[in-house]
Amino acid sequence: MSMSREYKVGLFIVCTTAVIFIALLYLAYEKGFFSTVHTFTLSSKTGEGFAEGMPVVFSGFNIGKVHELELNDKGIVLIKIKIPERHVKWVKADSSFVLYRPLIGAARILVTTDNLNSSPMPENKVSEVETINDINDAIQKVKPLLEKITQIAENLERLSRKVDAMAAKTDEQVFGKEGTLPQINKILKDVAGKLEKLNATVDNINKISKEASEGMKDFRSLRSDIDDTVKTLNDVAREIDAILSKKKEPEIKVP
Amino acid sequence: MRKILTIVAMVIFICACGSNSKQVPNWKDTAFRQLENYKVNFLTGKEDASEPHFDKAKKAIAGSNDLNLLARIYLNKYALHTAALEDFEDSEFVRINKIQPVASNFAYYNFLKGNFTIVEDDLLPSNYNGIIKNARNKDLAKASQEIPSITDPLSRLIACGIWAKYLPYDENILQLAINTSAENGWKRPLWAYLTKLQKYYLDRQETTKAENIKERLELLKK
Repeated sequence: MSMSREYKVGLFIVCTTAVIFIALLYLAYEKGFFSTVHTFTLSSKTGEGFAEGMPVVFSGFNIGKVHELELNDKGIVLIKIKIPERHVKWVKADSSFVLYRPLIGAARILVTTDNLNSSPMPENKVSEVETINDINDAIQKVKPLLEKITQIAENLERLSRKVDAMAAKTDEQVFGKEGTLPQINKILKDVAGKLEKLNATVDNINKISKEASEGMKDFRSLRSDIDDTVKTLNDVAREIDAILSKKKEPEIKVP
Repeated sequence: MRKILTIVAMVIFICACGSNSKQVPNWKDTAFRQLENYKVNFLTGKEDASEPHFDKAKKAIAGSNDLNLLARIYLNKYALHTAALEDFEDSEFVRINKIQPVASNFAYYNFLKGNFTIVEDDLLPSNYNGIIKNARNKDLAKASQEIPSITDPLSRLIACGIWAKYLPYDENILQLAINTSAENGWKRPLWAYLTKLQKYYLDRQETTKAENIKERLELLKK
């Protein structure tokens, strides 16, 4: 049996549409589109920190979200949360609701149920939301610290002023005209001057020593020359004595 | 002819020069000259200059290995000290005399030390022959006559020194020594005898004379 091209195209489109539709239906079902949603109303004196779409958390799992915020005639903020049917078992008549605003991360409403066997929470009951504000707590905790830090800062400032004053005085004493450093400089200059003079003296001593040393060489040379001359003169005298035969042989005797 | 005579005379002169007697040993000549220089410097009061000459004389003699001469050098030194009325340190002579005793040296040493009884007269230099007898007898009168007769001034001064050191002396002896020293310009003994004379006068209460000598000494020492 052969099918016409038009029939085949029509069949393909219908099947594809059906698959897409079924997939969407499945997705919607999975997302709880068809499940029943319970709406509970919470109250708070202030709407600060609340926002629509804010998650409602039980034991760390999202079980619902803030659906609507309203302000009633008494100025109380009414927070309507929607909990799907499958999660409504966690919300009981004695459950407590806390707005948790962590220091880091998004704010959320925490649901705590001490007794899961208690009766379900009636939808017309309005429970009050407590607030845990990490930022405020932190601020509260930090506040005394800040005060102390401020005090310390003030103290430091005072100390700094004193140190400045002392430094100024010290500056004056150390660097002033009659201060220590100029005096030391003066002394050092004096010492340096004296050392320079001493250098000259040492140079002179070296020079004198060198000259004396050289002089000693000359002396030795001179001494040797004189010795030679004296010896020569002695020899000549002795020769003359011998030639003239006048000199008797010297005799060493007692006087 | 004159030229020939001149040449002959020169040849004779040169030959005479060549035939001289034997030469004096160098060390002896040096020792003698140094000793003479020592004597002059000592007596004229140049103490610093005198000792080096004595040392040179000693060294010159040391080269000859002659202890007799070395002993005589020391005796010369002791004699000069005696002439200047000074004591002397005799250990070197005693050591030499132990090793090589020479009678004449020992006699002279005893004479200088004032040991007159053990001195053999004929071993002393002839200058002192008359003095030693008088010294033994302590005969000042005879000594006063004998000492001036010594012709050598140094020997005369030594005789005066020995008498003034060990024997009873008088003004004449001291005056003789003073005159001898003064004639020769021997400052060191001169001052010693003047000091001795001053003391002599003081001992005899002749203060004027003593004062006179003192002033003279002060003037001379200036």
